[in-house]
Parts: sequence; C-alpha cells; structure tokens
Amino acid sequence: MIDRALGAARRSPHLTIWYLFLVTLLAFGAVSGARVLIEGLRVTNLTDELPWGLWIVIDLSSIALGAGAFTLSAAVYVFGLKQYASIARAAVFVGLLGYTSAMLALFVDIGRPDRFYHPILYWNPHSVLWEITIAVMFYTTVLVLEFTPIIVESTPLNNYALARRLGHLLHRIMPVVALVGMGISMVHQSSLGATYGILTARPVWYSPSAPVLFILSAIAAGPALTLLVTMISGELMQKRLVPEDVLHGVARFVGFASLAYLYLKLWSWLAVSYYSHVPGHASGIEILNENTPYGFTFWWGEVLMGALLPAIIFLWPRTRRNRYALMLGALMVVAGLVVNRWNVTLSGFVVPLDWSPGVLDVFPINMYEPSLVEWGVAAGIIGYSWLGWTLGVRYLRLYPNAVRLVRRRVVTQPAVAESGEQPATAR
Amino acid sequence: MSMNNPSGTQNGTQTEAILTRREFVMLMVGAGASVALATMLAEPLNPLFQRVLGGDIEHEKYTAAASDNPRWGMVINLSTCIGCEYCVYACQATNDVTDAMRWNVHIVDETPTGNIFHMTRPCLHCNNAPCVSVCPVSATYSRSDGLVVMDYDKCIGCRYCEVACPYGARSFNWEERGDEPNPRAPEWGTPEVPRRPRGVVEKCTFCIHRIDAGLAAGLTPGVDPEATPACVNICPVRARVFGDLNNPESEVSQIIASTATFRLREDLGTEPNVYYIPPEGLAI
Repeated sequence: MIDRALGAARRSPHLTIWYLFLVTLLAFGAVSGARVLIEGLRVTNLTDELPWGLWIVIDLSSIALGAGAFTLSAAVYVFGLKQYASIARAAVFVGLLGYTSAMLALFVDIGRPDRFYHPILYWNPHSVLWEITIAVMFYTTVLVLEFTPIIVESTPLNNYALARRLGHLLHRIMPVVALVGMGISMVHQSSLGATYGILTARPVWYSPSAPVLFILSAIAAGPALTLLVTMISGELMQKRLVPEDVLHGVARFVGFASLAYLYLKLWSWLAVSYYSHVPGHASGIEILNENTPYGFTFWWGEVLMGALLPAIIFLWPRTRRNRYALMLGALMVVAGLVVNRWNVTLSGFVVPLDWSPGVLDVFPINMYEPSLVEWGVAAGIIGYSWLGWTLGVRYLRLYPNAVRLVRRRVVTQPAVAESGEQPATAR
Repeated sequence: MSMNNPSGTQNGTQTEAILTRREFVMLMVGAGASVALATMLAEPLNPLFQRVLGGDIEHEKYTAAASDNPRWGMVINLSTCIGCEYCVYACQATNDVTDAMRWNVHIVDETPTGNIFHMTRPCLHCNNAPCVSVCPVSATYSRSDGLVVMDYDKCIGCRYCEVACPYGARSFNWEERGDEPNPRAPEWGTPEVPRRPRGVVEKCTFCIHRIDAGLAAGLTPGVDPEATPACVNICPVRARVFGDLNNPESEVSQIIASTATFRLREDLGTEPNVYYIPPEGLAI
C-alpha cells in the first residue's frame, strides 16, 4: 500500500506536492472549523456592527462562480446549442463544488448550525434570505440530478442495469431539469444581491440594480471559472478537453456578459454618484474612500480588471485565439467577481448607521480584517473545492470529447489555425 | 403568439431560426407548466402570505377597538433625560444582559444649536420592522400588540436581522455565557428571564414577561410597576413613559396628542412604537 503510494508519488511529484498542499489546506480548515463549533463565533473578528465577513464573501463568490452550471446547461438543453455539451458537464461539476462550498461556509457562519434545517420548517416568504435558502436547496438538488449520470458513467455503477437506466432516464428529462434549474438560478442569484439591495437604512447598499448586477456578474464569472479550470486542467493533463471553438464560444459569451454587467454597473454609478447627489450615499462613499481601498478596488479591481479588460480579451479575435490570454482573461473575471462580493459585503458595514437625531458623528466607523480562524475555515473550503476538482477531472468523465495530446507542440499549432478558419460563434 | 413567430417566415422569406417552431412551443409549454406548478405549490402558502402582508388591515382594527387590542409604546423625553444610565442598568439586571450586549443604549449627541442632549434607545418595536421581514425562519415576529419578539428556539443565528435593523437594536450571543454574575445585579434589580444560549440574537422585549403576567393578573402596563418595563420604573426624572398607544386615555397617548414628538428615522417608514420628545434646540 505504502509502496504503491510512494511509487505513484515518484512518477508524478508535482501532483503529489499539489495533493499535500490541498491536504494542508483541509487540515487548517478542519482545525479552524472545529474551533468555531466548539468555542463559538467569538473566535472571529465579527461584531454586532459588522456581523458578516469573509465567510459571507466566500459564500456569495462560490454561488456566483457556480453559475456556469445553469448558463451552460441552459445553452445545451434549453437553447439547443449542442456543441456546448462538451463543457456543460464540467460546468455542472464546478457548480456542485461551488454550491456545496457555500453550504459549508454558511454552516460554519450561522450561530446555530444544529438548526440549519429550520428554514424548511419555519417559513417566512417575505424574507429574501428564506427564498434564497429554499432556492439554493432546490438548485443543489438539480445539480445532483444533472451530476448523477456522470457518476454512473464514470464508476463501476455503470455495470448495473438499474443505475444505467436511472442515468439514461435523467439524461432524457435533462431539458426539463435544465429549464427548472435556469429558473431557480435566475431568481436566487439575483436575490443574493437583493439581500443588500433592499436595506433602506444603508444608503451604500440600497439599490434597485443590486439584484441585476449580481445575476449579470454571476452569468459572466460562472462560465469564466469553468473556462479557466478547463484550460488549466487541459494544460496540465496534456489533453484537449474541449474543442477550441467551444472554448472560444464560451469566451465570447463571457465577453458579452461582462459588457452587459459593465453597462449596468457604470449606469448604477452614474445615476447615483455623478448625475445626481444622494446625501447618504455620497457621504458613505466618502467614508469608504477615506478609510478603505474601496475606490481603488472598485475601479481597478471590479471595473477594469474584472470586466473591461477581460471583455476586450474575449471579444477581440486576436487575443481570444491566444490560450494564455484566454486563461488570463478568465482569471481576471473570477478575481474581479470575488473583489466585487467583498466590496459589496463590507462597504455597507464600514459606513455606520445613523439613527440619532443630533448632529454629532456618534457612531464609529467599522473596520474589519478576518481573524486567523476565519482565514483557516476559508482555506479549508477552498481546499475542499480544489481537491474535489482535481479528483473529479482525473477520475470522472467530465469531458466527453476529451482528446489526449501526445506531443503538445505538434498538435496545438494546427488547432489554432483551425479555429482561425472557423470563427467560433455563440449561436 | 403570432407576433413572436420564431421562424421569421413573414413575406415568404425563409430565414435561419434560432429555435424551431417545435422547440419554441415546447419551451412555452414548459414555462407555462412551471408557472402553473409554482402557483399550485404556493396555494397552501396563501394564509401565510396574508398574515405577512396584511399588517395594515390589522393595524386599523386595533385603532378602532382601543385597549381591548393594546399596542404597547413608549415616550422618551429627551429634554428631561439627564443621561444617568439608570435605565440601561435596570434593563441589564432585569433581563440579564451583559455590558457588551446592552438592549438599552445611551449616547451623547448635540443639537444644531450646540445643545448637548442625552439619547437613550430601547428596541423601537417597529410596526414595519425590517428585522421581522428579513428573518429566514420567522424567529423574530410582530405580536398583535405591537411587540417585536424573538423566539430563541427558532433562531439559527444568521444575523441578517442585525444587518437589517436601522437602529442597531440587536445583539448576538457570540459566546456561551457561563455562571459569571450579572454585572448590574443585585444593585439594579434581579434577573427575571433566563440567559440566552450561544449563537442566537437577542433584543429588548419591553419586558414582555412583566406585561403578559401583569395583564393576566389584571394589572395595567404603564400604570402598575409590576407590569411595566424596568427602564421606565427606574427613571429618576420620569423621562420614560409606557402604555397603550391604542387607548386614548393612556398617558402615552395623552402626551403624543398634546406634545410635539418624533420617531427615529421616520423617513424609513419603519413606524416605530417609541416616540421622542425633542430636546431644546432640535427642530422636528
């Protein structure tokens, strides 16, 4: 047993180091998670004035980055773009990892994890968070349904006629599942933005465009992450996992989605901060700019890196045909999304409430930096999703059209030329 | 339907369609079926929706029937408050609250005319409480007598109510409370309610236990001290008055009828049941 493990380690030392790294992350996460469950949330740097932090950012980011599942499944099963079937399975797997990561983060974050099922028993249809909880639950079920045929195909389960028939049945009803999944996703992805957008007492948050910004950024960043992990995995495994024109099609889609996001983002800013003056909002932004890198991270992180540059990379054919530019662009969209979720979550808390009728600034500005335990849990969740992906891409049939490249240098040249002749189209 | 003809065959020109007619019809049928299913599934929810959305109707009912359907409220006089913090301490002793989690807070503020005044704030027990609408498990809810209450057995500790409350009136149990003594007992009173467990949110209850027990014993909250919140009883300058806002004879109703009062962040439409008499120099 140990001999075999050592032998495997000697054959692929890089993979071994990677696994060791992931196991370290997981161990860090397990220890930190245990501390939270035993000692309570006092081990965080959260307060009554700033009760949500890094874990909520992770939760929002992983759900948004899991949006590739519903977008690409809808492309295949609802809009009939069959060629994207070659990447849709991977997107479903990324989605499953994203949603389970979010659930892990929430489980640690709530004060009473033993009551995680309460939203099912005690309904509050007026609560946007109740709606999100129920929708996330249903959508995770959709993801499991979409994922089951992959499991059946990739494991010895395939030897059992019953399992094969279940997989086949699920495959046949997939258009319905994908349609339902798209509906539920559209709703709860935007509701996550509404979590902040509906809070009238917080001018920095209160915004009718918040829900739409959340869904648009998720539609851009979800497929971008699927694109990124597909390309990185292909490079490392020396396989062409997905045909080039499919990669380019996804890239173009992300480019257009980024532009749509950018458009609404700029108008949301112009309407409130440039063409008009909303006192509470303006003073809030002033506080943020004086005390945090909000202004810098908003313009350079969210707008330029997260949307404008990747849109150019993905929509300009010359950069789109360059694999490394494509990977860089996808990485920028993903990073931009995480920066955005951090900024949105924290900005509303930094600016203090103002309920006293007097003129003094009686309420202090709230600053936040995650504690070591918070970082630890975050590392554990990231380790979980990366390990899940590594195992999945190695042992599951995530890419039905994967082709092994014998010598990379020889094969990539014609692949690039080929895609040049047939420009990828989204429709 | 014909306006959305997907195959684009107008004027006899045949163009490449994104969806075939068949796919389009399938899509529409699918969407229609989803809506029908959702409506069907939502049917049992209707009483719930009515309960949640029907606040205004209930409110009028109370106004008409006055003290048979009380609406508990408070008047705080900022022109007489001296900032002694007795209300803060009595609340801590009675409801067994730590220094870090005070349900009643005191801050010092200033009017535009430069007049320093003392501001104290319990939970305002809003008629349109943002905390109530955001709670994903209905652990915090509005009682028919206007009290905004916590059910500690339902709360999952997500803290969205803390995020949504415009007045910072909520505290989370970040850690388990042991047997450490109450910081204000016995000087300011004796704890009358159990400590809350780790991981749930808590807030001012207007001393709900006194109100309910008092009413059962035939007492009048706001008049009989046993049925009145501890912060009101202890105030040395009678800056706090408690009573039934629906009863025109109650002291709170009389003050509100005869004196200029305001509520905190009236612009947010939360309709608090706590009214303030402004300090000198504060225009309202």
